[in-house]
Amino acid sequence: MNEILDTHLQELRRGTVVLACLQLLRTPGYGYGLLEELESRGFATDANTLYPLLRRLEKQEYLTSEWNTDEARPRKFYRTSDAGIRLADTLTDEWRSLTAAIDTLTAEEN
Amino acid sequence: MTTTATLTERYIAATVKSLRPDAQDDVRAELGASIADAIEARLEAGESPTDAERAVLTQLGDPGILAAGYAERPLHLIGPRFYLTWWRLLKLLLMIVPVCVLVAAALGQTIAGAPVGEIIASAIVATGGTIIHICFWTTLVFVVLERTGSSTSIDKWDVDQLPELTENGPGRNELIGSLVFLGLAVGALVWDRLRGFIPAETLPILNPDLWPWSIGLLLLLIAAEAVFAIVIFRRGGWTVGVAVVNTILALAFLAWVLVLLLRGELVNPDFLAYAVTAGGDGFAAGDAEASGEGGIMRILAVVLGFGVAAGVVWDIADGWIKTVRRRRP
Repeated sequence: MNEILDTHLQELRRGTVVLACLQLLRTPGYGYGLLEELESRGFATDANTLYPLLRRLEKQEYLTSEWNTDEARPRKFYRTSDAGIRLADTLTDEWRSLTAAIDTLTAEEN
Repeated sequence: MTTTATLTERYIAATVKSLRPDAQDDVRAELGASIADAIEARLEAGESPTDAERAVLTQLGDPGILAAGYAERPLHLIGPRFYLTWWRLLKLLLMIVPVCVLVAAALGQTIAGAPVGEIIASAIVATGGTIIHICFWTTLVFVVLERTGSSTSIDKWDVDQLPELTENGPGRNELIGSLVFLGLAVGALVWDRLRGFIPAETLPILNPDLWPWSIGLLLLLIAAEAVFAIVIFRRGGWTVGVAVVNTILALAFLAWVLVLLLRGELVNPDFLAYAVTAGGDGFAAGDAEASGEGGIMRILAVVLGFGVAAGVVWDIADGWIKTVRRRRP
């Protein structure tokens, strides 16, 4: 029973990680740091989902990347591109209209 | 420390090795930094280095899955885009090809005069091999399509592909068809005996010695088939019982033909002699050539037997297919 519930929740959350990444990476960030930040902001994600996702978004040119070698451990920093910001705005609008739609549903219910 | 370093190295190597060469170094460096960051965070929380590394790598999971994520490879053999096309094609091929191979292999072996055991064994081996080949190669083609991200239009569906509804009840046509066919069969039997099909000669094709007992049995079977056809029509369709009776009748007819054919009693010896004479030198030469297989007449007998058997098997299968279809809502 729990498994079915988990699947439904997963289905609903799918896609929110992309939006969260695009928004958070308006200020540059790197893999593990982003993983922690997503977790603390309530977008718990598996590392093996996030790391390939970042590269995919980079390939789709919604993110740009740069190696930062200033510190002892070189890290690949990602940043949301202009196209990524537009995508984030579109997705946010979509999310808001979905929220409004669900609100009317629950309002009718009561 | 050396063992812990080795674990991470092994994990990264396992992830990276199946990626495109130009992406390998970048992924290696990035993944290495991410793993090191995660281990560091756990060390700060007070874990031992060994535990920390094991926990981090365990959380990352199977490197094969991670690599598939990086390379955007599917983790299934045939995905939803091609699955139905694959399944339909496979079913179609499996319905047609193995049966043809089975019959062809058995026919060839029988003509070549192989013993019964060998006929059965080689036909089964050939059919089994065919089934395996069909499954393997068909699947391989679709796996390649899936892996190459092919965008062929074979997966497009449109309403014209909807299957026709199959008629469940037996039509009047089926009844009339059966009765006319059975009537013609009786007519042909009597005509063959009294007048003969060969002009200017009163030479029956079927052995006259079959009258009255064997032919009587055949006429009984024909009568039973006629009654059976009427019963199906009256009862409004095929049921399991009807299909069983159909199977028994068909097998009885097959047994009738095969027993007489194997005993060499089916065809009139005078007619065979007449046919050989009418064939002339060409026939004699062909017969000599085919003598290793027992002569042309034996080959013809084998082909006739297979033909009758194929017809009977189809009749039985047709009955069961109609029964199953009718039971489905």
